[in-house]
Amino acid sequence: MNKRKVINAVIMTLSTLSALLGLIFLFWILWTLFSKGINAMGINIFIYDTAPPGVKETGLRNALVGHLLLVMVACLIGIPFGIMAGTYLSEFGKNSKYANFIRDLSDVMMSAPSIVIGAFVYAILVNPVGHFSGWAGAVALAIMMIPIVLRTTDDMLSLVPQTLREAAYALGAPKYKVTMQVVYRGAKVGMVTGILLAIARIAGETAPLLFTSFNNNFFSTDLNQAMASLTVTMFNFATSPYEDWIDLGWAAAFILGAFVLFVNIVGRVIIKKRGRN
Amino acid sequence: MAVLCEVREPKEIDIQNFSFYYAGSEKPALKSISMPVAKNRVTALIGPSGCGKSTLLRSLNRIHDLYPGNRYEGKIMFKGQNILDKKIDLIALRIKIGMIFQKPTPFPMSIFDNVAYGLRLQGIRNKSELQDRVEDALKGAALWNEVKDRLKDDANALSGGQQQRLCIARAVAVKPKVLLFDEPTSALDPISTQAVEELVIDLKEQMTIVIVTHNMQQAARVSDYTAFMYLGELIELGETEEFFINPKVKLSEEYITGKFG
Repeated sequence: MNKRKVINAVIMTLSTLSALLGLIFLFWILWTLFSKGINAMGINIFIYDTAPPGVKETGLRNALVGHLLLVMVACLIGIPFGIMAGTYLSEFGKNSKYANFIRDLSDVMMSAPSIVIGAFVYAILVNPVGHFSGWAGAVALAIMMIPIVLRTTDDMLSLVPQTLREAAYALGAPKYKVTMQVVYRGAKVGMVTGILLAIARIAGETAPLLFTSFNNNFFSTDLNQAMASLTVTMFNFATSPYEDWIDLGWAAAFILGAFVLFVNIVGRVIIKKRGRN
Repeated sequence: MAVLCEVREPKEIDIQNFSFYYAGSEKPALKSISMPVAKNRVTALIGPSGCGKSTLLRSLNRIHDLYPGNRYEGKIMFKGQNILDKKIDLIALRIKIGMIFQKPTPFPMSIFDNVAYGLRLQGIRNKSELQDRVEDALKGAALWNEVKDRLKDDANALSGGQQQRLCIARAVAVKPKVLLFDEPTSALDPISTQAVEELVIDLKEQMTIVIVTHNMQQAARVSDYTAFMYLGELIELGETEEFFINPKVKLSEEYITGKFG
């Protein structure tokens, strides 16, 4: 065998092994989550709230509902802001200095540590009010969401061919109609995907919620009060010494993992479909 | 100076001493062009790449205004008004002067909605009126028989030639006075090209047509008048047959005989 073929074989083996190693960890995580989580799952998870250790009737209802509420409110704030800002950048600001400055700023925000965002929201929404609240948690998540939605909206809108805009203007359409009726439609799939990935991204966050929505052992839908979430509950329970709390922590991890996996898969399927068209 | 032939028909558009500067450029892309556009006739703009024929066409509905910094000088008279006037209503202008692009530009919506788009912009909401006018436009663009059973389908599912005829139907639906074609067949196969060329000839009954083309045979086939441009200047405007057989300017002759391109 000549030298070239040997080198080729060695490199290929090494890279295949590295890829396998990465995959092993992914499946290990999924398997651990699944095996530990599925044992802890049961109807009780959905009908009972978190209870002190030793109480039989315990579950995650408060954390589940709280988490959904936090994520929903974050979406209601973050998605419109992100889409509007992204639309500004792509359709109005274009390559102006100001628009590029906002793009850079948004990129910096995207990589800001989430705990810093939590601390910021604590300073503006928790400290002045004097208590933790669901609103603060949702705002912290929304702040994390905006740069992601902004970026994908900006990218997807700028992929819409310029001739499509010109064609709409040539029919006598005003700018806002060109943007809303033609450009948005052309970029719809990409924008939806970006939103889904942003949701998946914030749904698993703990740090921004620690000092904002904090936690609540009781069922509550009042966003003015502290609110339970799956991630903070998981953090508290998994680090506790009590067996039944640790089990609940695994259940929370399982639900979160499944949710994020599901949203990611949906997002990716949409991207694939678009690629084929 | 350009050599212009006598235009017998009324002038739908009259371009007078028109110059155009792209943003940030001191050099004009078009240099004091003057020419009439005959009503209900097809005027072809020909010339080598970069001669300014598309730039001139795109000035006629002021699509250049989408990009800041572009500058016009001179006058383009249409219906007694200078369309370069700052006060002109661009939306009203573009309804009267429609445009077809090089690549088909179907909107990401159904075939029906594509054709109805311009009509809806004008506030037509009545369902039966919309239906009638969409049908008329599609018939006018020789597309009706191919799509009448799938008006709800996505317009992107049509073939390239069908998409271009759809764009023509969409432009025709709002009944413009002038229709501008910017190399409408350069992305199409020969059969679709023929269909579009036949359409151009049919449409001049109802409207004035200006067509930019790379293809001299196409200009000869479809147009009544041909304008030859070179390096941002108009060299010659002639009646098409006369122009191709007996051009008045040496440069025009060299171009049509293929001495340069």
